[in-house]
Amino acid sequence: MHVLIINGSPRVKEYSNTDKILEMFTKGLCENGTTFEQYEVSDVKQWKKIREAYYNNSKIIIALPLYVECIPGLLLEFLETLEPKNDNTGMAFILQSGFAEGIQLRCGETYLEILAAKLGCEYLGTLVKGDNFSIRFFEGEQRNKVTEPYTEMGREYSKNEDFRSGACRKFTGPEVFPAHIRFIVGLLQKTLAKKMFKKIAENWGCTKAIDYRPYS
Amino acid sequence: MILIVNTTSDTSITEELKRNFEEKHIEAEIVEAALLRISHCIGCNYCWLKTPGECAIKDDYEIILKKVIHADQLWVISDTALGFLDHKGKNIFDRILPIATMYLKFVGDQMRHVPRYDQRTDIGIIYLGDVEKDYLERWTGRAALNFESNSLGVFGRDEVKEAVSCMF
Repeated sequence: MHVLIINGSPRVKEYSNTDKILEMFTKGLCENGTTFEQYEVSDVKQWKKIREAYYNNSKIIIALPLYVECIPGLLLEFLETLEPKNDNTGMAFILQSGFAEGIQLRCGETYLEILAAKLGCEYLGTLVKGDNFSIRFFEGEQRNKVTEPYTEMGREYSKNEDFRSGACRKFTGPEVFPAHIRFIVGLLQKTLAKKMFKKIAENWGCTKAIDYRPYS
Repeated sequence: MILIVNTTSDTSITEELKRNFEEKHIEAEIVEAALLRISHCIGCNYCWLKTPGECAIKDDYEIILKKVIHADQLWVISDTALGFLDHKGKNIFDRILPIATMYLKFVGDQMRHVPRYDQRTDIGIIYLGDVEKDYLERWTGRAALNFESNSLGVFGRDEVKEAVSCMF
């Protein structure tokens, strides 16, 4: 099997969390001989090649970050240039977000099923997972801890040629956190997480408070 | 104040809205965004962690951002594609990130970003063309969560009067 993978993140490859996820996903994907070609929507120079690959491949995975409850504007701009295929092409998606709860991604997931139909493709499911915001800020083992589980999902796709298995559904994790976890995470957000965000901001050269209001 | 952002090149809708606003003495501002240079969001997170509240992309979106934080309602007029808003309409929402901070909190059982400003801006959509309307209504409700506000609804080109009835 050969798979076209489109990284739909507007963020350049170097800083793309979706790309880091795909690095691990494709490790598992290729273990049993599956091959792939990958392109980045963030690089507009690749759009012509991606279009050609879209028309020439019958297995397509679009990986993307959730942007305001749906797909990013840049990915939408690219997809608007495509004609529907109507040739039994299978289209699956990897949808990831910063927010951790599965429920945060469901509205976006629903659109992806609509999108596959609009492009004349068979919808082969969406691998849904949040809690990926930190990937960009981590290196080495810390990053791998977040991204490595995607390797198993690569194996799963290679085996089933879709994301509809129970293992893929389970991969999402909790739809919402139980009340006691929300209480603890809420406390952490008010304390440790605030410190962590301030530290990151300082490292990025930020000289203002994170809740600064430039237009008041 | 009601803010109308028209991302389409069809100004007949905004002309119709202007007439309604004058008749009903509604305070509104209209931005013809099709004439502006507005990029997509590049997901750099600078508006949260490097230049809080300011977008790293220096284009005309700042005009909209400065108005949104004082608006009671934001209405986006958008063309459609693939059953949804087209990319120009979606970009207006994607670029709204600077009105939120990096800080997080639970609202009900879901985590949200802490808003940067006190203003809460309800949102509505007027669309041209074909959409999956049930989905767009659901999406608008979810998108409003990012404003800690409410959806005003989703209206087709032939339902502008119904949309105006929600503008007060």
